[in-house]
This record gives sequence, structure tokens and C-alpha cells, in this order.
Amino acid sequence: MIKKTTYLILTLITSTVILSCEKEIEISIPASQSQYVVEASINTRFPFLNYVFITNTVDYFKPDLSLNGVKNALVFITPGIIFGSDTIFNDTDRIQLIAIDTLAKLIPALDSLIGSFSGVYMNPILLQGKENTPYRLDITLMDGTKILGRTTIPKIVPIDSFSYRKEKVINRKEIQAFLTFWITDGPEKNNYRMAVRNYTDSILYGWGAADFYRTFDDELLNNGVRPFMFSNSWDEGDTVNIYFSQIGRKEFLFWQSFGQAANNGGPFATPGSVKSNITSHPSNSVIGSFTGYALDFKQIILK
Amino acid sequence: MRTKVFNLFVFSFLFSTAFSQQNFTVSGDLKDSSNGETLIGATIRVLESKNSVTWSNQYGFYSLTLPIGEYTLMYSYTGFESKRVSINLTKNTLLNIQISPKIIFAKELTIKGEREDKNIRSTEMSRIEISSEKVKSLPVIFGEPDILKAITLLPGIKSGGEGSTGFYVRGGGPDQNLILMDEAVVYNPSHLFGFLSVFNTDAIKNVELIKGGMPANYGGRLSSILNVNMREGNNQKYQFNGGIGLIASRFTAEGPIKKNKSSFLLSGRRTYIDYLVKPFLPEQAKGSGYYFYDLNFKMNYILGQKDKLFVSGYFGRDIFNFSSPINKDVFFNFGWGNSSATIRWNHIFNSRLFSNTCVIYNDYNLFNDFTFGNSKFSVRSGLKDWNIKSDFSLNLNQKHRIMFGFNYTFHTFIPGVASGNAGTITINEELSKQYAHESAVYILDEWQINQRWSVNAGLRGVLFNRVGPYTLSQYDDNGQKTGVETKWESGESIALYPRLEPRLNLTYIINDQSSIKSSYTLTYQFLHLATTSGAQFPFDLWLPSSAKIRPQEAQQYAIGYFRNLDNNSYEGSVEAYYKPMLNQIEFKPFSRLFFNANLENEMVFGKGLSYGLEFLLRKKVGRFNGWIGYTWSKATRQFDELNNGQEYYYRYDRTHDISVVLSYKFNDKWSGNFVFVFGTGNATTLPVARYAYRIGFDQKENKPIFTFIDVYDKVNSFRLPDYHRADISATYISKKTQKWESSWNFSIYNVYNRANPYFIYFLPDIDKLEVKAYMVYLFPILPSVSWNFKF
Repeated sequence: MIKKTTYLILTLITSTVILSCEKEIEISIPASQSQYVVEASINTRFPFLNYVFITNTVDYFKPDLSLNGVKNALVFITPGIIFGSDTIFNDTDRIQLIAIDTLAKLIPALDSLIGSFSGVYMNPILLQGKENTPYRLDITLMDGTKILGRTTIPKIVPIDSFSYRKEKVINRKEIQAFLTFWITDGPEKNNYRMAVRNYTDSILYGWGAADFYRTFDDELLNNGVRPFMFSNSWDEGDTVNIYFSQIGRKEFLFWQSFGQAANNGGPFATPGSVKSNITSHPSNSVIGSFTGYALDFKQIILK
Repeated sequence: MRTKVFNLFVFSFLFSTAFSQQNFTVSGDLKDSSNGETLIGATIRVLESKNSVTWSNQYGFYSLTLPIGEYTLMYSYTGFESKRVSINLTKNTLLNIQISPKIIFAKELTIKGEREDKNIRSTEMSRIEISSEKVKSLPVIFGEPDILKAITLLPGIKSGGEGSTGFYVRGGGPDQNLILMDEAVVYNPSHLFGFLSVFNTDAIKNVELIKGGMPANYGGRLSSILNVNMREGNNQKYQFNGGIGLIASRFTAEGPIKKNKSSFLLSGRRTYIDYLVKPFLPEQAKGSGYYFYDLNFKMNYILGQKDKLFVSGYFGRDIFNFSSPINKDVFFNFGWGNSSATIRWNHIFNSRLFSNTCVIYNDYNLFNDFTFGNSKFSVRSGLKDWNIKSDFSLNLNQKHRIMFGFNYTFHTFIPGVASGNAGTITINEELSKQYAHESAVYILDEWQINQRWSVNAGLRGVLFNRVGPYTLSQYDDNGQKTGVETKWESGESIALYPRLEPRLNLTYIINDQSSIKSSYTLTYQFLHLATTSGAQFPFDLWLPSSAKIRPQEAQQYAIGYFRNLDNNSYEGSVEAYYKPMLNQIEFKPFSRLFFNANLENEMVFGKGLSYGLEFLLRKKVGRFNGWIGYTWSKATRQFDELNNGQEYYYRYDRTHDISVVLSYKFNDKWSGNFVFVFGTGNATTLPVARYAYRIGFDQKENKPIFTFIDVYDKVNSFRLPDYHRADISATYISKKTQKWESSWNFSIYNVYNRANPYFIYFLPDIDKLEVKAYMVYLFPILPSVSWNFKF
């Protein structure tokens, strides 16, 4: 009887509190001034992950939810050389990135991306990132706006080893696999970004295609063999692709703030902005990042 | 200004001592005859002299200095029979008095119908008291009465939000309220992430809130003092009482250790949410749960006619465990809580000089234990205080009462200690502890200049000294250590802030029913709460002032008109205030507060301004009582680094705020309460634009994927919908005998099911090409019941 009463009370509380706690409202938000947005990346392993995506901010309730890509931009990435404390970029080394619509005519594999990805510029044939190398990004837009970005691909920190255990979990039909991998973090200050994708194909078409991400540094766990244990699990037989990168500090700050901005909801949401590492002329007209990834990759089949 | 106040004070002191030789003093304790509890704020009036009136202090002690002669003293207190005592004052006289609650037939010299007029005659303004009995009778959520929620029903005090115990006084922040429980500072007054306060109403005698005109014996916070006094325990008989609510129960035992000499009180409370939820959890998550508990303890000894000793303590914890239902290797244990111990000694040197001396230990700590397979981490943070203080009250003569004292606190801040292991890496990291001495001396004079004018002038001198040992690491603009460190040896001063705080309250009595009061205060605050949310959370950190973090500063000017009606049955007041604040603190967006040695560089510093008008009409006695309060106010902030340097509305700026609290006693068994609140919606920052980022192509679904990121513009430029709701409650006394008393409290929170905003979020629907706004609200119409008993 007591148990039944308890259940009844609990059901009453939870049903009143949880079931009736949300409703749609009308809200008026004024028009805002548009800014350019740039997502640029270069890495040491996958040419298709070297791309620049240019778009605009749009008013909040504008019904256009497409990617809103910016066309007809001139986009160049130039590798540099470090001499002591100086970094030298030679314009003769610059590589032009081509709009995906044009590129698809040369690479049929990209054909399915046309339409979805106007505003994306890449050059998978010529552009390949190297460790310990600085890169410069130059963009000139049709309205004369110039956007400049810099990044350096640091040293690769490889995944040393991995292991997984399998067990039956309540409410899951398939046997679950729990994965851990290890890296060796050096004594220097390191910043990491990891993307994980559960799929048989190892090629990631854009960083957004991963299932989840982590951005972290070694402030607390420095200089030693460091494990990464995933709190979630995969089904037995899944193929897990781990894209593990070392990135620069400014790029770390950008992706850390991006993670906070992307998960910024609830009653205590902070109205913050991402920490961009690119600039523009005229100033304050661009948001975004140019990130160099010293990328290591592991594909693990959880047999 | 400061010099003038000081001169006035010195003059009044000298003036009074010169004319005090022909006077004698009658003094003593004022107590409840039914249980021996001291009565705070009771009125003691000399019937032969209209202007000779005083009030019992926080410890129930009163003192009146009068010329030699025969007098009749009237002792009165709301809810009690007044008592008239005749004395022939030819020498200093100790007169301890007990008065009876109105339900007990009074003996001999009791009369009925006298009302208090403290609000008219006292030099205090912007001060409100509320009894724990009143708090218990108000409608509540889940059957849990709460002091902090009750005080937000008073004008000038704003709630932190739906269901929140956070409160904001006259435009100040939540850390600008000094919350004291039996004189010990409560650094985090909330349980259950802010939904309930740490104060168990069964252990509480009364609550006093000072929101302006702060007297010189208080300091250390800019906005308010919340003084929570614990009960002392029945010194006449053993008594047990408690209550059973929907989510928590409480039990209190009290009684005499030696009748009329000493007593004890022990009170506990625990939630059972963890037990209620457990049957619904999957087997592997049975280790998950949340609960909190409180323990209050108090003992007092009457050592003699002149000495009383009190020992009181509080210990409370919130514990949250999480055991992953999917991964048995993942376990998380998170807890926080306050503990405090107070030893208090009241001593009467003579009938004119009373002292209160306390030694207080205070500890707030937070712990997190994480287990991820073979990796284990433990992080701890907190704050410890050792505090000694002495307050003296000297009745010089009929017109002057001098109060003086000192207060010294040694603070130890523990921003973070981490330990554990992960792979081959062993963590043993400790953020440098921070130490500070906070010392204050004060003196104040309550001076009745003539029949119409009286003044309460005070001066508080404060010395805050942040000391070593401490190591400060230098960080570059990217938040990484440069390797440069500055070290301070033990005791070496890092930042020294001497400050003077003048306080002035002036009262002009127009007639027996009305007066005008005004006040000026200058206050400094040396401890700051690092928080990025509006509510106070357990993981928020307290920080001391440093070379970079300057003390917060506020001036407050207030003026009020006070008017009583119908033989003091009704109290009315209108108060206006103007409060500029300096060195206010905010954090940069996305700052990491937890375990961050570079926290100071995450801060920005700016100004605040708050002003408003408060109206209160209150009926204190009779079958039908309650109050209606209305506040019109404005609160803003200005930071160079935020909102392009432009002034913006403070998050808890509330232009209009109305509260109506009505109580009616139908008969000896039934009584009812009605509460209505209305407040302008909170200022909030909403996104004005968005963009797509982190693009990709999903080969499985054959479609593009990306993440929308919001772009924000002006800070707090939007308003949430207005907040309003009505609550009702009824108390039914099912049995009341000499030996056993039981009652039921039935509450309906939000009777007309108003959907009050908790927060707003937006949801883009890519398939339908539209963005919708949704408002989340916490509590719809919510009935609750609790059973209370006493034997």
C-alpha cells in the first residue's frame, strides 16, 4: 500500500512538472547586420578535409535555413617557412582553392555535394598539410572584403594503442563494446581535438560528419601515457574511426568556445561569441577559424 | 561627508556622558513564558513618557535609562499578551520579564490591544522581520516551507527565478547579501541546486532582513543583511515536533537540560527523493540518487544573572551520485555543504553595558569524485573562516545608546585541489590557497535629539589584508602559463585595503502615527562570488579581493515616510532609494570557473546603478492580516568590455514588482493564506542571428549536416514575459491538546496554472525551413500536502 501511494505521488509530481513544462511562443527579434563566416581547415592526412567554407550570418527567424554559402570568392592557402622567430610566406607557393561546383566537374566523387555545399572551396589534388608548418589563408570576396587567417600544423601525437571490452547491457539488444585508447603526451603544452565517427568508410566529408567531438588540453594531465576511455558504447561489430589531432592554442580556444556556443542552452545559457582567429578588412565583418590539424587516424572494428 | 559624520558622532558622545549622572537603568531579558525562548524586537515602553521606548535586541536583552522616579513599563510583542510592570527606579535594576502567548490566559497585569509602533519611532529603516510561524503558514512547493522564498514576497527583494531561493536586494547581486545563521556566515544558502534553502523552519526563531540603512555593526556586503536566528530550545519541558512533506521530512527535539537554566535543541531534515526514484531506475543505475540533509544543534546555559552561554551548530550536505546505466565503469559522486559552529557568550557588565562575544568556525566545501574505469579523479574546493567578534551596547542615558565592537575573520580560500591517476599520469595538483585577514571596528550612537528628531550615526573601519603564502602564475593572452611566477611568503601582504564606512540614519517623528526617515550608507565588500549564472550554484567560488580585484563599493541614499493607522494595527510605508555601485564583477562569456588558476583574467570590472520606490501596507494583527507591497525600480550595469561599453539592464531589473500576502483565521481549526505575485519579466539576452558551421556530408543519410551557432547583440535587451501567479494554502489543526498537536497544511501553488518563463530556447526545423521559439516553465498548478506534529 505504501509503495502504491509512493508511486502515485511520484507519478503525480513528475507528470505535472515534466509533462506541462514547455510551450511555443511568438517572439519578435529585430534584423541584424550580416557578417561573413569562415570555416577553414588543413590537415596532414585527408585531402578532402582541407577546405574553406564561406557563409553569412542570417537573421534569426529568416526561413532560409540552407548553408547560405558565398560564391565567387578568391581563396588561397600559402604554406610558410619558419626562420627563428619569423614566419615567411612566399606568394609563389600559394595554392588556389576552387569552388566545389567547379571542382565536381573534375572529380566525379564530389558530384553529390553540389547544391548542398556551394560556398565550399577546396583543392584535394594540390593541397596537403605538413607537420610543423605554418599556413596563411587569403580570401577576397566580390564586395572587396578581404579575410586573412593564419594557422600552424603542430607535431602529430599518435594514438599508441587501444583496447575494448564487450558486455551485455540492460535494455540493449546487441552486445556493447567499450573502447579505450592511449596516447603519450609530451612535456610541452599540447592542445587536442578529436572527432569520432561510427562508419565503415574512413573518409570524413567535412568535420561536421563526425558523431561527436572533444577539445581539450594537457593543463591537468601533462607528460605521460594518457588514456581516453569513452563513457558511451558501440554495438559489437561497429567500425569506429578516430581522428585525433594536435592543434594550436588559438585554434584550441576557438573550438573550445565553439563547443560551448554549440551546447549553449537552458536557463543559464551564456550569450557568448566564439573566439575567432581570423581577421577582415573592413574589420569586425568576419567570424570563424583557420585550423591546422596534425592528424592521426585509427579505424577500429569492434569484432 | 565622512568627516562631518565623525564629528557629529564625537559630539553626541561627549554631550551625552556629561548629562548622564542622575539616571538609573532598568534592564533584563524578555522571554516567552511558555518555553523560555527570548523575544527579539519586543517593545518596552515607559507609559509616563511618550518618547521613552526601546526594543529588545537580537539576544532578547533590553535596557532603558531613566531619571530617578516611579514608572510603569509596558512590555508588548506581536501575538503575545502585553504586560505592565510598575517600578520605583532608585537604583540600577535588573528586571527579567516573561510574557505569554495570547492563547494562554494572562495573569495579573496583562492588558490587551496595545500595538507596536517600532516602525515609526526607531531610527532603523528598510528593515523587515518575519517569523518562522508566518513562513510555515505560506503556500509552498512540495510541502516544504522556505524562509528565503518567503522574504522574496517583501518589497525591494526579488526572487532569483521560478522556484529559486536566490534573492536580489535593491539591484544588488546574490553575493551581496550577508546571510548569517546564529552569527555564522552562510556562503551557500541553497539545497537542491537552489530550489530549497538550507534553513529548516523548525529550528528557526525569526528572520530579519536589512536592505538599507545598514547600521555600523554590520558590514562586508553591499546590499543586505539576512539575520537568521535559531531557536534556543524549550527550557520548561521536553518537546518534539516535526513534519512530513512530499519530498522531505523533519524532526526536532528540544527540552531543558536543567529547567530554567539550560536547554537544548536538535533538529534534522532529510529528503527522500533518492528512495522515491530508486524503484524506477534500471538495475545498473541503482547507485544513482540525490539527497540532502540538515542538522541544527543549539544549547544554552544561564551561567548566572549576568552570563549566558550558547553553543550552536549547523551541518548540511547535498549528495548527488551517478552510476552510468550503460557503462558500469563510470561513477560520479558530487557533494557540497556548509558546516558551522558558534560559541556565544552574553555578558551583562552592569545594567547599562551588555556584551555579546562569539567565536565562530565556518566551513563550506565542495567535492567531486569521478571514476572512469581505472582512472580516478577527485577535486575539492571550499572556504574556511575563523571568526571572533564582540559587540557592546552601552546605555548612556535616556537619549543615548552607544554600540561598539570589533570583528575579525581569518579566511582561507581553497580554489581547487585535484588528485587522482589516469594511465601513467598521477595528478596531484593544488591551486594556490588564498588567505586574508578581515578586521573591523565600529562605533555607533543612537541619539534621541529631542521629541521629534533622533539619529543613528555610526562609523565602521575595515582593514582587509590579503596575505601569503601565495604563488601567482603569469598567463599569456591565450590562457597559457608563461612560466613567470610571483611568490609571497607566509604573512606577507599581497593587497591591503583600509576603508572607512560612515552610516547615518535620521528620523523625524511627525506625530504618534507617522515619521520620516532617511539614511546614508557606504559599504565595501572584499569577498566576491565567481559565478556565470544568475543563481548561486554549489560550484561557484568565493574569491578574496586582490591587487586586481578591487573591493566592491556601494553608496545608498534612502528616504521614507512611515505611517501607522488604527492604533498601529496597520503599517504603511513609502521608501525611495538610490544606490550607485563601483567595482562590480562579471565574467567573460564561456569563462571556466572550476579549477582555473587564471580566474582573475576571466573577470571584467564595471559599475552598477539601482534606484526605486517601495510601497508597503501591512496589517500585523487580527484574524485578517498580511501585506501588500509594490516596488518600482531600475537596475543597470556598465562594463567597458561588455555591450560595447554601453549601460545595460541588470538581469534582475524588474520595473514593477507586486506582492500580496493575506492570511485569515476562520476558527480555531482552520486558517487560510493567499499569495499573489507579479513582476516585470527579467531582462535577457537573445540571439539576433545565426550561422551554419562545422559542415559535413552524412554518407549514411545522404544529406548535409551542420551546426547552427547563435549570434548575440546587445546584453539584456529583451524581456521575458511578465511573471505572475497566485497560491493558496489552508492549515487545519486536527488535534490540539496539552500533550499532542497535529496539523495539516494543504497548498496549491500557481492556482491558475500560469506558465511563467524559466527560459526561452529556439529550435530550427531544417525540414520545414522554420525556427520556433519555446518557453520552458517549471511549475504548473501544483498541489501539495504536509503533516506537522508536536508533542
